[in-house]
Amino acid sequence: MNAIEPVTLPGSNNPDMTDHVSAIALRSKAFLWWWIAVAPAALLTSILIGSILYLFYAGVGIWGIDWPVAWGFAIISYVWWIAIASGGTFISALFFLTRSEWRNSINRIAESMTLFGAACAGIYPILHLGRPWFFYWLFPYPNSMGLWPQFRSPLLWDFFAILTYVTASVLFWYLGLLPDLATLRDRAPTRTKQVVYGAMALGFRGTSGQWRHYHALYGVLAAIMAPLVCSVHSIVGLDFAGAATVGWHSTMFPPFFIFGAFLSGFATVLLLIMPLRRLLRLQRYITTRHVEVLGRLLLTSSLFVGYAYIMDAFTTYYGGEKAEITMFQEKLFGYYAGIYWATILFNVLLPQLLWFRTIRLNQLVVGLISVGVIVGMWCERYTIVVVSLHRPRLPSSYGIFHATIWDWLTLTGTAGFFVFGILMIVRLVPVISMFEMREILAPRRP
Amino acid sequence: MAAIFRPTANIAAQVVVVGLGMLIVGGAVWWWAWPRMDYVRHMGWTVEQPVPFSHQHHVAGLGIDCRFCHVTVETAANAGLPPTYTCMTCHSQIWTNAALLAPVRESLANNTPIVWHRVTDLPDYVYFNHKIHIAKGVGCQSCHGTIQDMALTRKARTLTMGFCLDCHRDPAPNLRPADAIFNTDWHRTAETPSPAALMQHYHVGGRNLTDCSICHR
Amino acid sequence: MPPVNRQWRGLDRLARDPAFVARASAEFPQLAAALAEPRDRRSVLKLMAAGLALAGLSGCDDGAPGGVLIPPVLPADNTVAAGSRMFATASVLGGYADGILVRHVNGRPIKVEGNPLHPASLGGTSAIGQAEILGFYDPDRSRGLIRDGEPQSWSSLLTTLAAQRDALGQGAGFRILTGAVTSPTFSRQIAALKQRYPEMRWHRWDPVCRDAMRAGAVLAYGQPVEVLPQLDAVDLLVTIDSDLLDSAPGHLRFARDFAARRNPARTDRMSRSYAIEPTPSLTGVAADHRFVVSPRDLVRIVPALAASILRGETPAGMPSWFAPLAAEMQAAHGRAFIHAGPQQPAEIHALVHAMNEALGGRGATYTLIGPVEADPVDQAASMRDLMADMQAGHVTSLLIMDSNPVFTLPGFGEALKRVPFSMTLAAETTETGGQTHWTLPARHPFEDWSDARAYDGTVTILQPQAKPLYDGLSPHALLALFQAADQVDSRDVVRQTHGLTDGQWHDALATGVVPNTRAAVSDARLKSGAAQALPPRPAGGEVTLLFRPDPHLWDGRFANNAWLQELPRPLTKLTWDNPLLVSPAIAKRLGLANGDRVSVAVGDASVVLPAWVMPGQAADCAVALLGFGRTDVGMVGQGAGYDVYPLTGGGGPVTLRKGTGREVLACTEHHDPIFTDAGDYVRQGTLAAFKANPGFLGGPAEQPSLYNRKPTGPAAWGMSIDLNACIGCNACVVACTAENNIPTVGKQQVIHEREMHWLRIDRYHEGDPADPNILFQPVMCQHCEQAPCEIVCPVGATVHDQEGLNVMVYNRCVGTRFCSNNCPYKVRRFNYFDFAGEERRPAVARNPDVTVRARGVMEKCTFCLQRIAEARIDADMANRPIGADEVKTACQSACPAQAITFGNMAQGGDIAERKKSPLTYTLLDDQGTRPRVTYEARIFNVGSDTGT
Repeated sequence: MNAIEPVTLPGSNNPDMTDHVSAIALRSKAFLWWWIAVAPAALLTSILIGSILYLFYAGVGIWGIDWPVAWGFAIISYVWWIAIASGGTFISALFFLTRSEWRNSINRIAESMTLFGAACAGIYPILHLGRPWFFYWLFPYPNSMGLWPQFRSPLLWDFFAILTYVTASVLFWYLGLLPDLATLRDRAPTRTKQVVYGAMALGFRGTSGQWRHYHALYGVLAAIMAPLVCSVHSIVGLDFAGAATVGWHSTMFPPFFIFGAFLSGFATVLLLIMPLRRLLRLQRYITTRHVEVLGRLLLTSSLFVGYAYIMDAFTTYYGGEKAEITMFQEKLFGYYAGIYWATILFNVLLPQLLWFRTIRLNQLVVGLISVGVIVGMWCERYTIVVVSLHRPRLPSSYGIFHATIWDWLTLTGTAGFFVFGILMIVRLVPVISMFEMREILAPRRP
Repeated sequence: MAAIFRPTANIAAQVVVVGLGMLIVGGAVWWWAWPRMDYVRHMGWTVEQPVPFSHQHHVAGLGIDCRFCHVTVETAANAGLPPTYTCMTCHSQIWTNAALLAPVRESLANNTPIVWHRVTDLPDYVYFNHKIHIAKGVGCQSCHGTIQDMALTRKARTLTMGFCLDCHRDPAPNLRPADAIFNTDWHRTAETPSPAALMQHYHVGGRNLTDCSICHR
Repeated sequence: MPPVNRQWRGLDRLARDPAFVARASAEFPQLAAALAEPRDRRSVLKLMAAGLALAGLSGCDDGAPGGVLIPPVLPADNTVAAGSRMFATASVLGGYADGILVRHVNGRPIKVEGNPLHPASLGGTSAIGQAEILGFYDPDRSRGLIRDGEPQSWSSLLTTLAAQRDALGQGAGFRILTGAVTSPTFSRQIAALKQRYPEMRWHRWDPVCRDAMRAGAVLAYGQPVEVLPQLDAVDLLVTIDSDLLDSAPGHLRFARDFAARRNPARTDRMSRSYAIEPTPSLTGVAADHRFVVSPRDLVRIVPALAASILRGETPAGMPSWFAPLAAEMQAAHGRAFIHAGPQQPAEIHALVHAMNEALGGRGATYTLIGPVEADPVDQAASMRDLMADMQAGHVTSLLIMDSNPVFTLPGFGEALKRVPFSMTLAAETTETGGQTHWTLPARHPFEDWSDARAYDGTVTILQPQAKPLYDGLSPHALLALFQAADQVDSRDVVRQTHGLTDGQWHDALATGVVPNTRAAVSDARLKSGAAQALPPRPAGGEVTLLFRPDPHLWDGRFANNAWLQELPRPLTKLTWDNPLLVSPAIAKRLGLANGDRVSVAVGDASVVLPAWVMPGQAADCAVALLGFGRTDVGMVGQGAGYDVYPLTGGGGPVTLRKGTGREVLACTEHHDPIFTDAGDYVRQGTLAAFKANPGFLGGPAEQPSLYNRKPTGPAAWGMSIDLNACIGCNACVVACTAENNIPTVGKQQVIHEREMHWLRIDRYHEGDPADPNILFQPVMCQHCEQAPCEIVCPVGATVHDQEGLNVMVYNRCVGTRFCSNNCPYKVRRFNYFDFAGEERRPAVARNPDVTVRARGVMEKCTFCLQRIAEARIDADMANRPIGADEVKTACQSACPAQAITFGNMAQGGDIAERKKSPLTYTLLDDQGTRPRVTYEARIFNVGSDTGT
């Protein structure tokens, strides 16, 4: 079996790397594959916009949600996206603090993923509202009605958390970009690019003083992001744990959701880097080592999640509350059983293949597993939201949920928007954080 | 290589930064102030009416009691608008052919109601009730302002929820002795019972007047 | 796009019906124009509403939209411009009157209440009575005089009638067809007509008639006496396929009297009741024992029962419960009462009369009175004659009032073609109206003067509640026009009948009853031969097909009433549809699941409709519900359900075949119909157990709580619901809908599980599907002191007030729906669309004291906050606390059985008393929500031997 490559292939050095990476961003013409990829993404994005407009015109009734199942795709997808986004932050912030070298080459991609994941997540809570135009009522501001929001509600803290997280992510991403923007400015072939990149670089010239401040600030932000990403996802978990609803009323949710964030985050990063390193010829800087490491992380987090699933079953039966048990059995064998078992299969069973190095190094299989995990994570949220709600405490209020076309269009729409965003990043800014690579590469050509 | 930006760019950058800051602050201020502006609340707007009825003339001038026209103010949620018949009780005797009053006469003649335009309009989900406010000693002027000085009726208070709450939190300052409720040129004198005494007298304060269920149903 | 709800579907379809467009253009040219291109349904609606505005009602509304105020020209006399008042009248069904009061707000009728002074009501109302107010505002009511589809002028009608008067001569060919009539005025006018046209005939037709009971009485007593039960005096009640608590004349009173003896915590003489019936009825569900017996066995068992009671025989081949029941009846001499339903043959009724006499109940548990109905006839026979004469061409002019035979009587439409002059007078659009030469719009009962008698003969004067919305014709005026040329005012006609002094007249109007008009007790003697008559065996065949009126649409006359259409049927919880109710056995045999299509054939008539499995229905029975499938009715009822009347015509063997495909039916309950643990929600036990330990069903468990937020206000609102009294009749649900402007959403949205009822009646089946225990439980917002909904709302749109109300502030709600998720009782409803806006109901029909909820906000039961607020203000003005029983919620005042008690617990009163009952428990008490609503557990007075 082939040995695992180092983080960067031998012989790579700064000048080559900088030339190669900045060249990608500074190309005058985009790659053909880029155009082929961007077309459908743009189409889906416009579908998203269309379905949002119709939603505002007609009301949330166009979705499948009903009396017992009052929450549906909006919440499912919200949690799903925020988990994906958080995964990126783990790599960019957590592993920055642990000074893991391998993280440098994929941190830009991970952060961009966070950015657009959070953007997709961010719109859902507003779309979810019955009267979205009043969403700002969740914000504590002195109004002429003399009213304040209700600070006991998990939703309110969710609102704050997501707001903070999105803002922080944008800042962190942009700060990380500064030195590279400066590089692009200096290498820009045309006047326009010089000016644009120059303006965006905010006058970063790489003086030792600037670098000193820069590193300090970056470290601080990373130190903020790492706990923030945990808090944001715990609070999303509290939306459920804080409710007395069957299937939600469990202290397990906050950690459970963070496990989920790990899992879906790593899977998504894998899905992004594996094609990109090929398409952009980055195999020298993003090596099979990265795939292998992420594979292990994926395996680990899938074990976490598996533990959570076991505890879910255990607490239900140990608690012995009738409604909970009824609902759980419904989850296992009822109308939606397929979705639950898909969750188990994709999130726990399949990733076990990653125990084998050969598999970890087989990018096709890893890719398939990652796709499975992402689907599995969505199914998990579907189970949590829909299946829990459709079996309330009183049998007289049992119900069922069927998604409508608008549910699906909105979901796929956000997926398209995500891809669209990533493609824009690939086109406009360095996909690898050059200044961080410089820390681990040979300074000059051999 | 040649510098991309001339030194002036720094100024531009600073302007942009300061501008952004001001934009945010300004936006916040506007957001806070807008709903409170008299303009937005139509404060002091006089509304075009079919007949230019003057409270100044009828109330301050002739000293007609509010209840002569607004008959149900003590007995119902609505203060009530006078039927044409009420206007004609006098105007069949005086100003019998004043051009101004032509619409009134026609209304009675053709039995077609006069369509007045609202001056104060509360949202449909607010259930203001005149009789209880009168019974508890709140004078007309607390909400309708110095009606006796209005040649043309206009809105005198913002009537925001905040306005209502201020009084519902502490009604005392707005309470009057029972005989002064409809008295438009009443003002506190040494003899007037203290606000606290009035609260006592009207048994106000027994319940929490800021419960949502007091005004919203 | 938003799912089109049933009502709209109806509109679009109707818009393509030329007959309708013709009718419409007669009334509203602009409407017809809009209908010509029915893509824009909203604009059509606006025009509809406009039509009502034109009808001159919106002027009353002080808060008129458009920011204008329209005071009257002259001071309104004798009506208060603001505030509410009650006016007495009656709601009449099948001729019999239930006294009601109509509440007027700002001078317009908006709500029906029961009349406490009326013997048939005692303050209670039926679901149908409650919904009548919506029928009054129905934009589809027939308008304008129509002849052969052409609008006519008033004068042309007068000339036509003048011609008639001359042409009729002795009246040989003159027939009048009505439903059963108790109106003294009407019968007086008929008598007068008979003077003028000696040979005219007055036919009666109700598809749901009580012929058999009348015939039974004649068999037993030689005259059509009526039975007047005194249920509060009955210790042992045996009902045979009975409608005593469902729909029998006086059923509201019966429910009240029955309930008075049902709660062992309040009566030490709890009655026991047995129900013997083929298909579940409210009467059967309320009984302690329900014996499921097929009609073909009934004709065997009832005579046997009679034999053992009258002659002490002990017949063989009887079910196990037979002997003990007979013995128990013997033992209950003078305290027992037997009642058989109108569906049973005359002979059974005769036997029941004989048994009642033998058990010595007469005078104690019931009395006999002369017929309440005016000149009662055998309707079936009367119709046979009419049809025969029509076919033979003997009928020259036919006047049809308050009857819809073209729809309800197969073959009538054909016969009608042979009548040279026919005229319909109806308030609603009817199939019959579409086929007679003349169609005259009748005045709605709320617009007209009339009178009617209650089950015990008491007369009520019906007085108009508002100026006619659309100028209609009074039946009395029309009869008078057949009598003579001069036009009369229905008020005068009614007054003449009763010859009351002004004082008495005004009292009669104010109280809603004419004193001393109760029917005299009859001293008819039982004929000797009565008990011998044996009922005919029903036709063989493996399936017995029964016809029952739909509990809400009745014979179809209420098909255009959205409230009744969307009201979940008490036992099936179905809305907007009338599937064939099949027994579990039949379902098993034919492999039927709910919604599967079946084709029913009787002789050569056949209908294909979906099936619904009815637990507790006799193995061989299928039940077809009348009243659905109207074809010319208006936009709401248009095409809802299936017309099964054709089956009533065809005699012959009944065959049932499984059809192809299935229908999606709008049912409001989605759980497995059979339960083993319904007791967790509807606590229940036996009287014996109760006597042993009254508190055995547990009091409200006060869960320990870390932070107690006990409301500290001057009043403490609470509600107690007695499950022993609740018969599941749905009156409360409609009352709530009417009081609180609750929108109907249409079939599609009900299928989407988005119905809006604030108050629902949960129904559980427990045990063996063939003979389950059926339980009802009304559930509305429980107003928890520790309300889970409140802590999760991010904007504080649902909060607690000081008096213990869980307040929902619509205008603060942003629609996160978290409160609904967190509600263990799922009593919150969400406006997924602009339901209120899309409702086909004029704004003037709404209760101005209740906010109309917008799209995207949550809503729920408020304990009728508007009524509390009114009382609160009155109390504060008088500087006194609010009385314990001062506020009555809509559901409470509507309940005929007084199952619901509400009040200010801080002041004691009934509510405090009921809360002390040992049977009191809270729903899902393990949730520690401390609801202000509590239930009294259901107690079954199970027989020792008959016990199951």
